[in-house]
This record gives sequence, C-alpha cells and structure tokens, in this order.
Amino acid sequence: MSNARLKDLRAFTGFGSVAAGCVIFLYAPILFLTVYSFNDGRSVSQWSGASLRWYAKVLHNSDIQAAAVNSLIIATVAATVATVLALGAALAMTNNRFRGEEAAYATITLPLMVPEIVTAVASLVFFVSVGFSLGFTTILLAHIVFCIPFAYLPIRARLEGMDATLRSAAADLYASRRQAFTKITLPLLVPGLVSGWLLAFIISLDDFIISSMVAGPGSTTLPMHIYGMLRLGITPEVNAISSLMLIGSTLLVIVAGVLNRGGKTT
Amino acid sequence: MKLRAILLTTAVLGWAVPALAEGDLFIYTWGEYTPPDLVTKFEKEFDVKVHIDTFDSMETMLAKLRSGAGGYDIVVAGDATVQVMIAEDMIEKIDVNAMPNYANVDDKWKDVYWDAGRSYSAPWAWGSTALIVDTAQVTGDINTLDVLFNPAENVKGKINMLRDVNDVINMAQRYLGVPRCNESPEDMKKVLELLQTQKEWVKSYNSEFKEPMVSGEAIVSMGWNGYSMRAREEKPTLAYVYPKEGYTGWMDNLTVPKGAPDLDNAKAFVNFMMAPENAAMVSNYARYSNGIKGSEAFMDAGLSDAPELTPPADAPAPEFIPTCSPESVKLYDRVWTKLLN
Repeated sequence: MSNARLKDLRAFTGFGSVAAGCVIFLYAPILFLTVYSFNDGRSVSQWSGASLRWYAKVLHNSDIQAAAVNSLIIATVAATVATVLALGAALAMTNNRFRGEEAAYATITLPLMVPEIVTAVASLVFFVSVGFSLGFTTILLAHIVFCIPFAYLPIRARLEGMDATLRSAAADLYASRRQAFTKITLPLLVPGLVSGWLLAFIISLDDFIISSMVAGPGSTTLPMHIYGMLRLGITPEVNAISSLMLIGSTLLVIVAGVLNRGGKTT
Repeated sequence: MKLRAILLTTAVLGWAVPALAEGDLFIYTWGEYTPPDLVTKFEKEFDVKVHIDTFDSMETMLAKLRSGAGGYDIVVAGDATVQVMIAEDMIEKIDVNAMPNYANVDDKWKDVYWDAGRSYSAPWAWGSTALIVDTAQVTGDINTLDVLFNPAENVKGKINMLRDVNDVINMAQRYLGVPRCNESPEDMKKVLELLQTQKEWVKSYNSEFKEPMVSGEAIVSMGWNGYSMRAREEKPTLAYVYPKEGYTGWMDNLTVPKGAPDLDNAKAFVNFMMAPENAAMVSNYARYSNGIKGSEAFMDAGLSDAPELTPPADAPAPEFIPTCSPESVKLYDRVWTKLLN
C-alpha cells in the first residue's frame, strides 16, 4: 500500500522538476562557494582568473587553521559524547513506560524548543556563576548538551522501528542481556547511531551563537573567526577553508554511508 | 583502546586549560586584523606564544568582559568603547604615556576624548567612514552628501548604505545640519523623514560594500577608507570621498582588561606596538593608518600617500563621536527599526 503510494508520488506531474529545483537550491550556493575559492582576485563574487593563492594563504594562516582545528575537535568530541548519552537515554526510554517519562523526554529535547540565544546566555551566566573559567571546556560542555537531542531523535526513531520480538527471541535462546545488546540491538541500531552522530557533528560544527557566548581565551571556532573577519572584509580565503572542510565532511558522510551499507547486508 | 581514550581526554583537557604560565599572550580582537609576521616577530623577541581570539562586534566583546570572562591580556577596542571601559573600571591603568615608545605616538592621538593623556590605551589603527563613489558614473560635485541624499537620476536605485544605525544616522544629521548624539524628537523626526525619502533610491543596506561597488550594482556607497582602497584596487574608477559636511573618524586601541593573566607581557606588547616598524606592519596588513610617527617609512609603496589614508588639504577633519546618552540611543533605535521595516 505504502509502496504504491510512493510510486504515485513519483509519477506526479512536475515531481522531477520540483526535485531538481530543490537540489539546485541546496547545492548551487555550495558549488558557487567552491568555484570562488579558486578566484585570483580578492572578491567573492567577481571572477578574475583561476589560482590557488587562497589555499596557499590558508596553509600559512595559523589563526584560521587554529580556529578550524578547534571547530573539528569540538564537533568530534561533542558529537561522540552526545551520541553515547543519547543512546543510553533512548534505550531506557523507548518501549519502556515509567513515571516521569514525558518530563524526561521534554528535558532531553529542550534545546530544540528554546531559542538558541536563550540557551547561550543561560549557559554563560551559569558557567560564570559556578566559577568555571570560560574556554575550550565550556564550549565543549555546551555543545554536548545541545547536541544530545539531535543525536537522540534518530536513535529513538530507529529503536521504535525495531522488531521487539528480536530481543525476545534472543532472550528465549538464552542470550544474556549483554549478549542481546551487543549481538542484536547494537548492530541494528548502527544506522540510527551514524545519522545521529553526523547530525550532532554538523550542528556543532556550524554553531555560532552559543559558541561565541561561552568561548574563552584560545578557543575561537571557525564560525567565530569568519564573523570576526566581516570588519576587514571577507576574502576567498573563507571559501578556501570552507571548501577544505566540505571535502572533509563529504568524505566522512561517504565513509559513514559505506559502513552503514555494510551493516545492512550482513 | 582505553589508553588512547585516556590520552585523548588528557589532550582535550590540557587544551581546555591553556597554560597561564609566563610565555603566553592572549589577544582578543577583530578577525584578520593582526599580521601573522607581526605575531611571529613578537613571539621571537619576547619568547611568548601569542594566541588570537576574535569577536564580531564591540557589543559581543563588552558582553563577554562584563560577564566576568577573564583570561585576555590585550583587548582591541574602538574609541567610544574605550571610554565606556574606563568609566566602568574594566581596564587596567597601564600608564601608556610613561612607556619608552610613547614618544612615537603622533601628537594628535595623545589627547583624545576617550583617554585624555593616554593612561589606558595605545593606538592600533584608525580610519574614517565616508563615501565611495564611482567617478565614471557620477558627475558633478561629488564632495558632498548630496550624492547620498539628493542624488542625480542615474544614481537613484544604485546607492548602498552601511547596515549600521549610528553611521547612517550621523550621515543624515550632517546633511540636515543637526547635532550628533541628538536627544530632540523633532530633529530625529526630520532624520527619519530624510532617510525614508532616501530609501526609495537605496539599493541595499549592507556593510559589505566592496562587492556591490566593484560589480556596479551600486555606484555610490557609504564606506570605510581601508576597505574602499581594496575596492579601488579592483576597480580604479572608484574614489573615496570626504564630504564637505563632515564624516566620522574612528580609532581602535590596545587596552589591557582588568585581571589580565600576564600584565608584563601585555605591557611589553603595547610598547612594542608603538614602534614605527611594528605599527607599519598593521597598516600594511589591514590597510588602515596607525597613528605612529615615522611608520610611513616602513609602509608599502602607494599606501601611506593613498588618497584613502591621506585626506586632501581642503577636507574637513574627521569627527570622533562618543557613546550617546540612553535617550538618544532609544530614539536612534526607533528611527532605525522604522526605517528598515
């Protein structure tokens, strides 16, 4: 039934052109950004010949490199920790009725509902009032917190879609809880974990508001560095470092996709 | 595996608490404002590691410092902001005027309104906010605010204004001949009417003015002098114009926030930056003047005598504008919100 409806949707007049329009809308700016990273001039919208000078500049600019490295470390650590915490929360809360379940769900997804600037200011006030000196740790903690719901939702969705009888079957076959988890639940959860991690990683990578509020000495991230460049003018250097990071995250998604497919066929 | 996890955690935590031992200097400034070769030079001479963090506005920087975030040794602040920081006791009195290199500071930057006699702050760079005009398109007298507020037919629809409440309102006030930091609702009503009439001819309110000027989407724009030079280098018909009604000047200064972890390094850096050869590096990198006598000799050819950095003899002096009273800030915000909606 649902399959038939899907086919109907694809046969709908204009489906192809709408889909193409969406793809262009999403990817044309990225293409434009990458093309202008090879611009010889200082402009990000006037073409004046091809060159690699902005890539060379990135290689010699320790500030922008440090900012990019900060961003990557924060995103990797925050996404990983958030995914582990979200996995625990999802396992405990899915198909498992308990008192205060609604409240727990609301708490976990709170960062999605509250405007980001509120979270940012609240985190700043909190860190300062408990005497936490601002820096790398505070950004990391803040990122872990707001990454949790992004990691949680895909894991929970996957868990809900999982056949509950599989776990019962494992128990029937004398698997311990631990064995049932590592041999049955976890492998089946991999796609959810991967998409949760990637979502959290991307959200962390381009966060600006919270980062700029809770950052301290030595912890400027790439988005903060780029905003700080506005005063003296954006150059294709930003395009160059963005393209490099784009290559990095594309590779990551491809690797994740390959792993995911491997997980499905076995 | 476990060992690796522990090592990674230690590495991350080690990063989290940067060593505040001697040998570190934390600078809080605009992005791409500090020349890398200058950093290297200071690091070599003083055997310290320089770390640079960036903010995107004076408001962000003030909010951060007011929240009690410490750890910065040097903060780069605009003229009005320095005045606020001194009033709120946020920066150290480092007696810049007693430093050996203070003699290099140009006399006109010694008795400034934000720090008379320079006890707290040293010059970093200064510039102006005036107009940039495409001389191939705009004819007649261009040294006047008429090009913005009473434009010729071919200029209409091709004007760009900076997206900054104070810069735009100051320009309109100069054109109307009413005072800056205005608290009079009648005057501000006139300002709003002028800006609303002008809005019909404005292509965009955008602080990134170089791209539209170079592409020809705009042929008149408000602009900063250093960035206008970048625009002229890409399109030679563009000219930076000092309108006869006046224009705004600004200066960014080096200050040391209260509680700086390493006061000695901070002071060493402030003194270091008042040496002509070092100040010139800032100008060469950021394309703004620096306020240090004798730095011209170390500046790139065509920079120190560029029209953007040296106003013609008949141009008025730049006007430096302090932070206005809460009453006028409120009025300005209302005008600005009405204008952009």
